[in-house]
Amino acid sequence: MKAEDYAPARTEQAPPAIRVEAPGAKSDTEPSDDAEIVFDVVGLSVYYRDFQAVRDITIPVRQKEITALIGPSGCGKSTILRCFNRMNDLIEEARIEGSVNFHGIDIYEEDVDPVELRRRVGMVFQKPNPFPKSIYDNVAFGPRVGGFKVNMDDLVEESLTRAALWDEVKDKLSESALALSGGQQQRLCIARAIATSPDVVLMDEPCSALDPIATLRIEELMQELKEDYTILIVTHNMQQAARVSDRTAFLTVDVNEVGQRTGYLVEFDTTNRIFTSPARPETEAYITGRFG
Amino acid sequence: MTEIRSRFHKELSDLEQTLLTVADQAEQMVALAVDAVCVPDMDKAARVMALDQWVDRTYLDVHNRWMAVMALQQPIAGDLRMMSVLLHLNTTLERMGDQCVNIAKLAQVTFGLPRSERIVAQIREMGDLVRPMIRTGVEALVRRDLEQARLLPAMDEPVDRLNRNMYKEVVDCGPDPAILEWATRMMMVSRALERIGDQVVDIAEQTAFLLTGEMVEFNEEAVPGQTEHDG
Repeated sequence: MKAEDYAPARTEQAPPAIRVEAPGAKSDTEPSDDAEIVFDVVGLSVYYRDFQAVRDITIPVRQKEITALIGPSGCGKSTILRCFNRMNDLIEEARIEGSVNFHGIDIYEEDVDPVELRRRVGMVFQKPNPFPKSIYDNVAFGPRVGGFKVNMDDLVEESLTRAALWDEVKDKLSESALALSGGQQQRLCIARAIATSPDVVLMDEPCSALDPIATLRIEELMQELKEDYTILIVTHNMQQAARVSDRTAFLTVDVNEVGQRTGYLVEFDTTNRIFTSPARPETEAYITGRFG
Repeated sequence: MTEIRSRFHKELSDLEQTLLTVADQAEQMVALAVDAVCVPDMDKAARVMALDQWVDRTYLDVHNRWMAVMALQQPIAGDLRMMSVLLHLNTTLERMGDQCVNIAKLAQVTFGLPRSERIVAQIREMGDLVRPMIRTGVEALVRRDLEQARLLPAMDEPVDRLNRNMYKEVVDCGPDPAILEWATRMMMVSRALERIGDQVVDIAEQTAFLLTGEMVEFNEEAVPGQTEHDG
């Protein structure tokens, strides 16, 4: 013990207040707000005929970040995801209000070509859905349709390498994609999605049909893909959203008197903030398993 | 409210309950330790040591349960902050128990020495200030009451002042070596009580973190009405 511990106070001046940032606050590991907004969704509502499926969604999606959409079943996560590459165009009587701006251009403007849009905004679905073709042809499909003038062998190898599948399939490229395991098939679908050099990859529950190891491989792959692509992921697995994403949108659902469900955004923030100190009690209740 | 993680939330609540029981014991141990010095009463000193064995065992038990909950339940958001608070609380309470043991041992080694009643009165006063602090700090946590938690720095201030003053009191005891031996030990008792006061302020800071999500150290500048949380 030191003598000064017992000494009378030498100064009445209090030390300056020390503030230590909480995990939920900004830190070096937090995503930067400087990153370009690739997709700016503003006031988006989606209707199927008269039924409003989601209302007034505003989410900025930043470049080379992973943005997760979470929320209970029926809150419109997949509906929103499908607006990012106009997949809802394929559903008759679907229409939207608000705007979805991709690099500043509203993708619902009449002069936007949905095929070109989908080349730049790729998609990976819940269930691995390789074409009943060879592994090689699956990856080469998009570039061929798009008339890419490239060395196709190189492109196939590069895409499969980026999807962390090359080493496992390089000796059997001409074999059927359907012979691969579920996890491999999903990585093949990711290779297929990135073969057309998209800016953005949409992932709709990409791991829900996979075992835990295959799931972790996809999650690891997402971190690598983030170096080059902007990723949006819909997931039911909250811990997955926490593990992989930079920002998280929490959506929930209102049910009206005739049982129609309309999804809406409760909170959008950094994933760190959402999972340590969410601002809204509804978010807290949902992610901690205490439903209101 | 529909509860879909009832097993986890029961474990969380059980952990908190266990630690609240330890906090009650700590308050009791402070009273016993101060009596052990001031009366002086060697039976009470022995009871402090016995209670501390229970506190130490409970500390290990809580630590093991805490680890299991973290590994198996992966708490997030408010639950995660509560787990963080419980981990701090467990350590803090165990250390408060150790401080009480220090005081009880000092009561034993000073037993029978000549003493200064002025210093005894000051030690008693410090004990009387620290015990309500423990109560208030624990109540603030139980009630999730931010305003109550913020009372603690102001409650701690007179304890700090008495501790600082103790040096002067010891010097005033004069040159008699027998009373000086007793008095210098009382400086360590005073220091232990002052530390317990600081530890209660730590608990209050944890309560504020639980409620606001921000870790802010309380001090004279952060007492009620002066932080940005107000408003």
